[in-house]
Amino acid sequence: MPATDYQASFLGRISIRRNQVIAMDGNHEQELQDLELFSKHVSERFAELLSSPDDVPFDALLSISWLRKLLDFFLCCEAEFKGILMMGNDPSQISKPPLDRLIPEFLDRSVKALDVCNAVTNGLESVRHYQKLAEIVVSALEQKPIGDGQSRRAKKALTSLISAMNVDDKECSAAKATERSWSFSRRGVSSKDRVPEHFRSVSNQVAKNWSAAKQIQAMTNNLVPPRGAEGSGLASPVYTMSVIMVFVMWALVAAIPCQERNGLSAIHFPAPKQLNWAQSIIGLHEKIGEEWKKKEKKGTAGLLDEMQKMEKLGNILMDFTDSFQFHGDITDQKAEEAAAHAAELAETCRRMEEGLLPLQMQIREVFHRIVKTRTELLNALDQVGKSSPPLL
Amino acid sequence: MDECQSAIPAHDGDLHVVAAAHHIVKALGTTKNLSDDLRKILIDLDAHLSLITSNIDSKGGKGFVEVEERLKRVERKIVIWESDRIMIWDSGPKEVSDYLEAVDEVQTLIDSLRGLSMNENQKQKELLHRASSLLQMAMSRLEEELIHMLVKHKQQSEPTYMPSPSSQRNVVYNESVVSLDNESAKEASSKSSRSDECGEYIVDLVPEHVIPDIKSIAKVMFASDYGQEFCEAFIGVRKEALEQHFDILENGKLSIEDVLKMEWCSLSTEMNKWIWSMKIIFRVYLMSEKRLCDQVLGEFGSVNSFCFLEIAKTTILCLLNFGEAIAMGPQEPEKLLRLLDMYETLADLVLDIDALFSEDGGSFVRLEFHKLLEGLADSVKAAFNTFRVAVSSNVSLYPFPGGGVHPLSKYVMNYISMFPDYSSTLNLLLEDQHSDVASLVSEPQCGPTASLSTSCPMACHLRSITSSLESNLHKKSKLYKDEALQHIFLMNNLHYMVQKVKGSELRPFFGDEWIRKHNAKFQQHEMNYERVTWSSVVLLLKDDNPGSSSLSKSAFKEKCKGFSIAFEEVYKNQTSWCIPDPQLREDLRISTSLKVVHAYRTFLGRNPAHVDDKCIKHTVEDVEKLLLDLFEGSPRSLRNSRRMMKT
Repeated sequence: MPATDYQASFLGRISIRRNQVIAMDGNHEQELQDLELFSKHVSERFAELLSSPDDVPFDALLSISWLRKLLDFFLCCEAEFKGILMMGNDPSQISKPPLDRLIPEFLDRSVKALDVCNAVTNGLESVRHYQKLAEIVVSALEQKPIGDGQSRRAKKALTSLISAMNVDDKECSAAKATERSWSFSRRGVSSKDRVPEHFRSVSNQVAKNWSAAKQIQAMTNNLVPPRGAEGSGLASPVYTMSVIMVFVMWALVAAIPCQERNGLSAIHFPAPKQLNWAQSIIGLHEKIGEEWKKKEKKGTAGLLDEMQKMEKLGNILMDFTDSFQFHGDITDQKAEEAAAHAAELAETCRRMEEGLLPLQMQIREVFHRIVKTRTELLNALDQVGKSSPPLL
Repeated sequence: MDECQSAIPAHDGDLHVVAAAHHIVKALGTTKNLSDDLRKILIDLDAHLSLITSNIDSKGGKGFVEVEERLKRVERKIVIWESDRIMIWDSGPKEVSDYLEAVDEVQTLIDSLRGLSMNENQKQKELLHRASSLLQMAMSRLEEELIHMLVKHKQQSEPTYMPSPSSQRNVVYNESVVSLDNESAKEASSKSSRSDECGEYIVDLVPEHVIPDIKSIAKVMFASDYGQEFCEAFIGVRKEALEQHFDILENGKLSIEDVLKMEWCSLSTEMNKWIWSMKIIFRVYLMSEKRLCDQVLGEFGSVNSFCFLEIAKTTILCLLNFGEAIAMGPQEPEKLLRLLDMYETLADLVLDIDALFSEDGGSFVRLEFHKLLEGLADSVKAAFNTFRVAVSSNVSLYPFPGGGVHPLSKYVMNYISMFPDYSSTLNLLLEDQHSDVASLVSEPQCGPTASLSTSCPMACHLRSITSSLESNLHKKSKLYKDEALQHIFLMNNLHYMVQKVKGSELRPFFGDEWIRKHNAKFQQHEMNYERVTWSSVVLLLKDDNPGSSSLSKSAFKEKCKGFSIAFEEVYKNQTSWCIPDPQLREDLRISTSLKVVHAYRTFLGRNPAHVDDKCIKHTVEDVEKLLLDLFEGSPRSLRNSRRMMKT
């Protein structure tokens, strides 16, 4: 679902509303309607994400296209949220309790989200690298007939691929960027005048002790559902948007290689099930959380569907090249199987080639949007005459 | 290759023709002065002819004997290195060319074998597998050679012409409203970054003589369809090298959260480092990297720009994110100059960035930096506005002691005296806010008759800032209970402003008209001071009945006493007042002296009969001398000084 559809109708609504605001007295009613509409849209969008069929590879949970949809929805929700918050007839509301506390907390969360965006953008560079290695595997195995040379070529790239994925993961949890060397030199000896072959990995963009998991954990600080009378006012969209933001960042970190993700599955979302809009988010959180727990034991570079496929196919093809080396030749049936797997890998690479860059751009768009909203909120706070400096 | 297939002769008679052709080709191949291309053609032809022969042979059951022979020969050449720990390219040119020839030969054999249809010919299949294996072995080896070569020849040392960032100006306004002595302001105003611009310094990231070696590996790897492996290895090493260079520039690895929480002092240092790193990374390293990529990979289509982007991306993202963090931070007035530096640096680089990333894949980078430039422009405007607001809204609770030059005046004037260095940028960025301000500053300079320098947006903004300063100073002057001190305070500060304008690059932006006006203003305060302080004192000496020649003794005594008390009061007060500018102090003393001493002397002169030590507490000379103690900023009481004078 394209983001523009939502935005267009949304903007249309705002401009109509602007005119109404002047004429109308029942602003509060309008506001209630807006809030209702907002949570309705949120629950619809996330329900759609939750119902993504696992069997259709294209839209599978945590696939590139699924993530892009998630980000699209984030942008839509964000635009709607800002509309509610800023277009309200009384801008001074944001400086009155409870918003005078909730907004600075929200801005604090926004800044943390920006750092997560950057970490993920950086992580996508690693994914690109996996893709390039997988493409070598594909080029090797696409040739017919597959001989020892092709098998060796594939094996070499596969070894790089699998260890790159593992190292990224270990590095992410150990946060220690030592000299990354591929211990096996071709002769199995590493001599002084030979440089070990090496490969790339996530380069730290921020301090070594920065942790994506801790960052997201910190985003959930003070995040509690509005109680009592607050529940009907603007406190509730601030809360909703915060939960969405935390969830989106959490999902991105789960999917894409990122610096230090220990404890990611332990992050608890303070979203009560009785809230209608939250149900799908909770459902998604549980689903992804379980996946993460499964993988956490084995160690994984990320839950990105394409990467998991790549890992699975990589291991199968690794076995294939091993047996090829051992037997010196293969049966036709095995060759066919390998070709099928290689074709599947090629398809995965193609999806990455098509989707990774747009995904990266979209994360950047999310980044800029968060910055923009933050600036606008700060300006609004400023204009309302709140002289105390913002938390951040 | 189908033609080749169809060209295979069917019967023995043709075999002789093939053999003859083969001989001619072999003979030609021994000629020394053949071009590389021609030699390659001959080698290919040779291979084809051998295959034709072997194909015919195979029909006769002899198999691909010659092909196998050739494969065995190159196999030896390639395998021999497998057990050797020395790198081929470290061994010598002969070894290198032998190896490359061998790889060429393998490739030729593979091409030719592929060219023949696989007529279930087991031998042919086997040979192809062997050749492919051999090719893989060689490619793997070449990849290793390449990495070794790139790592070994990575230029580790910093280029010597590169001044370190610490030699850059590092004087910063670390607090928002502080008094800065003129010295440090002067130091800060020398924009050294202008003079040590690093320009386009393309360096050899890899020594010139190694390039052909790298190219030779690229050539053979791309020819064998191993371009992907080449690129990954090349990108891996070069990316790491760039990151190392970036680390040497000591950029703190900061998250946005870190940047936003940072103290101004450290932030200013980081901003400086960023400015420096941007110049070095783009002008030196990325320009050079681009050249290296073009040199090595230029012949292979668009891979050069792909590799360049991959190498550069993470480093660029790092620079970009710091810029973004700065652009979104609160724009305090003290950040203005650094922000201007950042803006100018990027504005200066943006065309280079466009050129470096002109391909489609780089549009992301181009777009992001253009966005950042916009963001920085907004930040400059915001900081400029907060500066203006800070100037007019700075509140004092207590009068500034002594009525001297207020720290705010110093801060503002020193700060804005650095703006002329940025005039073109500021004019550009303040353009759209120009009309508002121009109307605020209702001075003739902004009218149509004004000269260019006084009517540009920056000039109007500058004058609006000083007029905010003036009104703020007026507010501050009201804190003094003593009206005379109000005038001293305003005189001092206005005089300071005029001096600052006259003695700096600000002058053309303010214009002579402004200077004339403000000279008149502080002179007015000077006169007002004299009037307020001295008129009443002098009045005490005035002749009550003009016409009568002299006063009665008691009246004279009364007047003398009154004068002394009043004078002593002024003395006690105004010795603690301050006029920091010696010239201004001198001028005021002279004119005071003229007025007071003259009146006193006349008064005494008119009553010579009563003049004796008893009733005259101060002689004319005393008064003259005592006036010199005023405005020195050290309170004195007259009794002390009197005692001192007597002893």
